[in-house]
Amino acid sequence: MLLTNYILSAWRNIIRHKLFSAINILGLAIGLAAVMLITLFVRHEINYDNFWANSQNIYRMHMTFLPSGRPPMVFSMVAGPIIHVIKKDFPQIQHAARVARKRATIIKGDQYFEEQISLVDPAFVKIFDFKTITGNLGKALDDQSSLILNKTLADKYFPQGNAIGQTLTINADAFEREFTVAAIMENMPENSQVNVAAMVSIVEEEWSELEWMFASWFSVNTHLYYSVNPGTNIKDVNAQMPSFIDRNFPLQDSGDAVSGFVELNSQNIEELHLKAPGNSEHREKGSITTVLIFSAVAALILIIASINFMNLSTARASQRAKEVSLRKVMGASRQKLVAQFIGESVFLTLFALLVSMAFVELALPSYNQIIGKQLSIDYGSSDLLMIVGLSATVGILGGIYPAFILSSFRPADVLKANKSAETSASVKLRAALVIFQFAASISLFVSTTVVYGQMLYAKNIKLGFEQNNLLVINNLYRDAADIKLALLVNEFRQMPNISSVTWSNDAPGIHTENNTSMRTPEMPSSESSLIGVRGVGYEYFKTYNIDLLSGRFYGISQNDTRAETIEIREGRGHASSLIINETGLRRLGLGTPEEALGKILYRSVGNEGENLEREHLIIGVVPDIHLNSLKKEIRPEIFELQPDHAQYISIRYSGDPLETVNLARELWEREVPSIPFTYDHAVDSVDKQYKAEQGEMTMFAAFSSLAIFIACLGLYGLASFTAERRTKEIGIRKVMGASVFDVVKLLVWQFSKPVLIANLIAWPVSYYTMTMWLESFAYRIESFFILGFCLAAGVAALLIAWATVASNSIRVANTNPINALRYE
Amino acid sequence: MLKLQDLTKAYRTDEVETVALNNVNIEIDHGEFVAIMGPSGCGKSTLLNIVGMLDTPTSGHYYFKNEDVAGYSEAQLGVIRKQHIGFIFQSFNLIDELSVAENIELALLYHDIPASERKERVATVMDKVGIAHRAKHMPSQLSGGQQQRVAVARAVVGNQSMILADEPTGNLDTAHGQEVMGMLQKLNEEGTTIVMVTHSPSHADYARRTINLLDGHVVTESMRA
Ligand SMILES: Nc1ncnc2c1ncn2[C@@H]1O[C@H](COP(=O)(O)OP(=O)(O)O)[C@@H](O)[C@H]1O
Ligand SMILES: [Mg+2]
Repeated sequence: MLLTNYILSAWRNIIRHKLFSAINILGLAIGLAAVMLITLFVRHEINYDNFWANSQNIYRMHMTFLPSGRPPMVFSMVAGPIIHVIKKDFPQIQHAARVARKRATIIKGDQYFEEQISLVDPAFVKIFDFKTITGNLGKALDDQSSLILNKTLADKYFPQGNAIGQTLTINADAFEREFTVAAIMENMPENSQVNVAAMVSIVEEEWSELEWMFASWFSVNTHLYYSVNPGTNIKDVNAQMPSFIDRNFPLQDSGDAVSGFVELNSQNIEELHLKAPGNSEHREKGSITTVLIFSAVAALILIIASINFMNLSTARASQRAKEVSLRKVMGASRQKLVAQFIGESVFLTLFALLVSMAFVELALPSYNQIIGKQLSIDYGSSDLLMIVGLSATVGILGGIYPAFILSSFRPADVLKANKSAETSASVKLRAALVIFQFAASISLFVSTTVVYGQMLYAKNIKLGFEQNNLLVINNLYRDAADIKLALLVNEFRQMPNISSVTWSNDAPGIHTENNTSMRTPEMPSSESSLIGVRGVGYEYFKTYNIDLLSGRFYGISQNDTRAETIEIREGRGHASSLIINETGLRRLGLGTPEEALGKILYRSVGNEGENLEREHLIIGVVPDIHLNSLKKEIRPEIFELQPDHAQYISIRYSGDPLETVNLARELWEREVPSIPFTYDHAVDSVDKQYKAEQGEMTMFAAFSSLAIFIACLGLYGLASFTAERRTKEIGIRKVMGASVFDVVKLLVWQFSKPVLIANLIAWPVSYYTMTMWLESFAYRIESFFILGFCLAAGVAALLIAWATVASNSIRVANTNPINALRYE
Repeated sequence: MLKLQDLTKAYRTDEVETVALNNVNIEIDHGEFVAIMGPSGCGKSTLLNIVGMLDTPTSGHYYFKNEDVAGYSEAQLGVIRKQHIGFIFQSFNLIDELSVAENIELALLYHDIPASERKERVATVMDKVGIAHRAKHMPSQLSGGQQQRVAVARAVVGNQSMILADEPTGNLDTAHGQEVMGMLQKLNEEGTTIVMVTHSPSHADYARRTINLLDGHVVTESMRA
């Protein structure tokens, strides 16, 4: 009975104070919606790989190289042979298995498809409890010609649902064989770094010619997962790794312990999504920084919205003072009043909740698009409880302070006319809260502009090559294409609108760490430097529009081809031409680009322990080129001529991109029908490296605008209340000769003060945090610019605050003073 | 000093039209002390507001120092008002958040007067009305009589030549009422024109002339010797 009474009176209050209610509900609804969206994202990010039955005991090993004079190189993958010795050395390990992903051609009859397939060790399915639909996963992997498909692939290749027992031919570089579908499993959930769709067993013998794949101790090409006995402390395992490395890795000629430059460490599988090092993931990684940043943003928005709520309620408290006092005189107890006001506040919040859920549902599609996820609210689950709980909490927190303020009014004071019901303490608190709101909004604003500025910088930095009008064709590494390389390049060169064509092992935005040891004749081999290698074809520099600092580029007529290992082994080597970048010059101490020309370098080749070196002659020097993300520092690099192999063909064209793509496709499909034609525009690949930051930026911009909007709603509400509260004062001032302008100035200044103070707080905070954020970029805007952004944010906040309160102030300033002074 | 000619003021609210002043003709000379009396709602405050240029007449003429201000805009009126006219209200109308001295200073704030001169004039006028010892107090800490003295000080600190007082003693007890009337009388003797609305015949006696209003009309004017 009492409850309906409260709800009824709460509802009447909403209706009666329309402006107050609208501002409160709208601000809170937007705030709650933002918080829900962020919470969905954060919850998704922190719940990766925790659904496996044994997830607590599953680990992945990663490998770090510590080359002298270069930052450590961390890989999420490890060397292939480790698996063969690890169980012997670590009895606490139950099962261990490698996973390597390969782009493969699947041949069904006369149809060709391209698919990512996972090559795994049979224990893989003992570590992870994949959900089987039909067949036995373990048995399937014990058979080297069996294939496991997930539901999607099984349906794709065998729509009639009769996949089991059917055959498919798989071509994956090292092999082309027929496989029988032996088991079908459920599709993997999206929240896993283990991302397999088609699995076959690793057959190491098939890869003997590509020994780096599984057999080399210093190449990293496979993920290594393992499960341990319950109760195992991973710190113990990690601590024993240096001795494990020295026991099992091949001895070095120098006699140096391998543990001096190789590290192995393991992480629990649940940590991988946010904390795994390295880049080679089978599913896009998350970022713990992003999660933390957005959690903070959500907290800020929630606080800003709650502050609005509190401020508007306490501001209105003075208006309701008479009502409260009368109720008290009529005998209402303080508890009852507190309950009534908290009830009203909760009711208002729940109402806001309904509105906010509509906002969330409206926003989710574009939100998902921005962050590249598939998030949704599951109303049937605990989600609903959580949301209602959240809003009730906000309602109670937002209502509790005003409730106590209101209920504490002493009727005698209030009913005596002409007394301001508000204490100066509550006025001060409100001012402090407004300052906080604006400090938070300004910080968010600054952060957004810094992120945006850095993106802009990244887009406009001199990359050292021309990213526009550059088409990159993929899939050249596949045998069928590789043998057509020369033919394809020649044909492309004949095409209209194509000015030059080249080939290479890397492409913009695609990074495979290929490094080699190089030294000058003066250096002992133990002091050689690790230098990055990019294999390139003729006309590479012309096609990429790369400047030459000294010397010349590779030329067909110049005999630039390198001495093959076998020739060196047989003593028939020759000095092979080499082009090096500026950082390389510095690393090897080669002087100026001019001085470096004609100098000799040695590079180790051949098998481990063979001690072979190839002699190189520097024929050209190029500037540092950002083929990869600006997050990566430029390596010392050589561009090595690789006459007949490539992963990519790059085409410099003019005119309509589509036309060139179509011509290229036609040629490709004619010459290499068994491999799908795929391509990228270099400019897109460069942009794609910042996709995460782009998403972050859009999210940031959206949420900080929301925060500012909510803060302004609050300010607007406060301004109208304040103006009302000050009408008498303003009337008196006008009678005393204040002009409309004087009064507007007075009111606007009143609301400028908190904004100005907020700037003083926000600037150092955002300067500090954004300087930290920028540090993740090797190439970044000067932190000096942040100060400029701070200034801009401050001015913007001030202008927004003015715009918010101006209309109200002008209206109030224009009212005739007698209206304010008449009624007493 | 001022002359109202055929002055009419009508308030229009939705459907009803209230004629607050109807064809009022009044002339007030410089240095006069005039009391306006009449039952509640007869238009006394309306008259005072128009004379004080806080409001504009619906029709008729208002000559202030021989200048017809009836058609002036609010801003134009404001300029004349702040130079010549001081106000005293029944409910004092002090600003709660400002101290006594600041409240008085308010009347000088919107004139181009340097801060030091403002302080000086405020100090002088506070002495004159005997409120100097309360300079730093807030209005809520003062009695009604003291508050009204502050209001009087505020009305005269700008050397206004005319003071309009709307029931200045209405909220005061007899003793305090006498005190305020004494101050007004003194000001009048010093040459300030005073127009005062009052319900109290004894306070009206301070004035040399009484104007009686009824339903927006001037019904009688009586002069004392
Ligand atoms: N702003 C207004 N709007 C409508 N009617 C008003 C307004 N101000 C005064 N009135 C009406 O005009 C008449 C005169 O009011 P007023 O001058 O305040 O009387 P007094 O001061 O003599 O008591 C009254 O009937 C009053 O209701
Ligand atoms: Mg009146």
